[in-house]
Amino acid sequence: MKVLVAVKRVADANVKVRAKADGTDVDLNNVKMAINPFCEIAVEEAVRLKESGVAEEVVAVSIGDKSCQEQIRTSLALGADRGIQVETDANLQPLAIAKLLKAVIDRESPDLIILGKQSIDSDNNQTGQMLAALAGLAQGTFASEVVLEDGHARVTREVDGGLQTLNLKLPAVVTTDLRLNEPRYASLPNIMKAKKKPMDVLTPEELGVDVASKLTMVKVEPPAERSAGIIVESVEQLVDKLKNEAKVIS
Amino acid sequence: MGAELTDLDFIRRVRGICGQKNVLTGTADLEFFGSDRTRLATPAPLAVAFPGTTEQVVDLVRLAASAGRSVVPSGGRTGLSGGAMALRGELVIAMDRMNTIKAFDAINQSVVCQAGVVTAQLQAYARDRGLFYPVDFAASGSSQIGGNIATNAGGIRVIRYGMTRQWVSGVKLVTGGGDVLDLNRGLTKNNTGYDLRHLVVGSEGTLGIVVEATMQLTTSPPPSSVVCLALAKLDAVMEVSRAFKASSSLSAFEFFSEAAMKAVVASGETRPFDTIAPFYVLLELDADTESRVDAAFNCFERCVREAWVMDGVISQSGEQAARLWRLREGISEALAPLQPYKNDLSVTPSQVPVFLAEVEEVCRSHYPDFSLVWYGHIGDGNLHLNVLKPEQLTAAAFHERCNEANEKIYQIVQSLGGSVSAEHGVGLLKRGALARTSTPPELAILRHIKSAFDPSGIMNPGKIMPTIPDS
Repeated sequence: MKVLVAVKRVADANVKVRAKADGTDVDLNNVKMAINPFCEIAVEEAVRLKESGVAEEVVAVSIGDKSCQEQIRTSLALGADRGIQVETDANLQPLAIAKLLKAVIDRESPDLIILGKQSIDSDNNQTGQMLAALAGLAQGTFASEVVLEDGHARVTREVDGGLQTLNLKLPAVVTTDLRLNEPRYASLPNIMKAKKKPMDVLTPEELGVDVASKLTMVKVEPPAERSAGIIVESVEQLVDKLKNEAKVIS
Repeated sequence: MGAELTDLDFIRRVRGICGQKNVLTGTADLEFFGSDRTRLATPAPLAVAFPGTTEQVVDLVRLAASAGRSVVPSGGRTGLSGGAMALRGELVIAMDRMNTIKAFDAINQSVVCQAGVVTAQLQAYARDRGLFYPVDFAASGSSQIGGNIATNAGGIRVIRYGMTRQWVSGVKLVTGGGDVLDLNRGLTKNNTGYDLRHLVVGSEGTLGIVVEATMQLTTSPPPSSVVCLALAKLDAVMEVSRAFKASSSLSAFEFFSEAAMKAVVASGETRPFDTIAPFYVLLELDADTESRVDAAFNCFERCVREAWVMDGVISQSGEQAARLWRLREGISEALAPLQPYKNDLSVTPSQVPVFLAEVEEVCRSHYPDFSLVWYGHIGDGNLHLNVLKPEQLTAAAFHERCNEANEKIYQIVQSLGGSVSAEHGVGLLKRGALARTSTPPELAILRHIKSAFDPSGIMNPGKIMPTIPDS
């Protein structure tokens, strides 16, 4: 069985990002970059499938300029067997990503495609769903458990008010939620070994995908600052403020 | 002199200065504000005052001096040497209310902050302005700037940024005599005789109370990665240190033994790899360019080839870096339930392996039932030696045997020209040991300096200097 995972390069989750002074974009200058945490969980899940003997090969795909090779290398160090970079400098929207991944799937014919449920930079939560639709595959989003047997994937999903279990016919698209697993560290010996693992570079043109964006970013600005709170002197004062200033009780 | 002032009259006068609600006398409050993390004796101060202004601090100190009462300054009380312990009816002056960052100067890259500002608050303030306050340690969420200055706090990034001393460009001090000294006033260059500011740094509240400080900030460090390595043997520490210092730009180089790893894993952290090694090191290095990261990888390969290193991981995200840091920063807390006997020793970094081997040898031959837990900032020659109490020993007997063992350990420190307190200060705990590394003339000068700042000897009496005046 072949598993394909998609990884995205994003600003590290622990970094407090700022808007550029001219409001054109987020300022990524001198900012630590990392694999999107949900994608990291996807890689971990694929590697565990391989370690348990269910999967034979794990392929990590990333899309972007040359710098995203770093995240592919990390995936290889975590246990993926080979990497594919789709190289483009374009500002990509989820639909373009889904189309590119669909084209990669057509070449690779994986049995399972695992993606993060969303990326922490743009928080769209669209790519996995779009990919499943474009490729005509079953989808199990927000997975907290994945069990493969008899050509099916049993996916436990975290939904409002509980858990839902789906049985998907493979090949299928699964997107990961936080509780699916805890990713391992990249061991230094494995990082050294990963340098020798193969990485192919493709282009959108080779894949026959038009990635032109139909969206224009108008402005990026930080959220409004919260004004300082006060300490009230008494319960009466609190009730009065809730009634007359905040107007949240009557 | 109003030495005949009764306790109640004295407290009434203190309330008159700070306001009724800013003085606490309840038993639980006295215990809480009268002790630091050592818990080495039962605290018994008379009252805890929370002044809101420098003028109130002056009035409190003058009142105490005229009434012949002692004063114990209190910050975040995270100290480990008993420097903030109030044991005999003192007035504790807690700086918690004076916690405002008063001014920011972008050109000087400095801030003027009151003594009660919490370290993490200053760090966040700097970060919000695209700058960096580099002094950092496990207690930064509670410790206060005034206390950091009084103890010259060090921590985890000393190899790159130095101790608190390096970041203090001005100090406002209320002396034991009740004078307000405004020392150095944020100047970069000021060669006008003795730099009294630097006497205040590390004075542990024995000269006066720090009420305000000008702290320097610096530019944000480049993105970094954290590396944790399993070491095959002790001797490898210095080889690995030398190799990484040559190949990478390090901001931290920490060390801990398998016993420490076991304790921290038992407290809920996860091992970074399956390999069990006698010692581990944790490095933080700049990872802003590919060539820098590659240099670190190549260095790692070399360390493996030389059989210094058995295994290792590198953080791929800030979250992983924080998790790796917890392996090191969680040790002290993980050991706390075992009531370890703590030592905070330093030698020059190159002497560390000799020092470690000699101490281990002494303990093995004289105290075979002791288990030793080593960890520390090995990049700056600072080791925290924790001795765990054997189950069959009572706490008192254990303490006595540790003191006995310490005599031998201090001899080793002395023979290597090291320090009996690298970063925790002297406080109450290390007073006896001070004579090991300070000569009688040095100690005499310390006493003269103390009396110049604090003529009536009311400031944190009994700390650093081995004299406790009768109260």
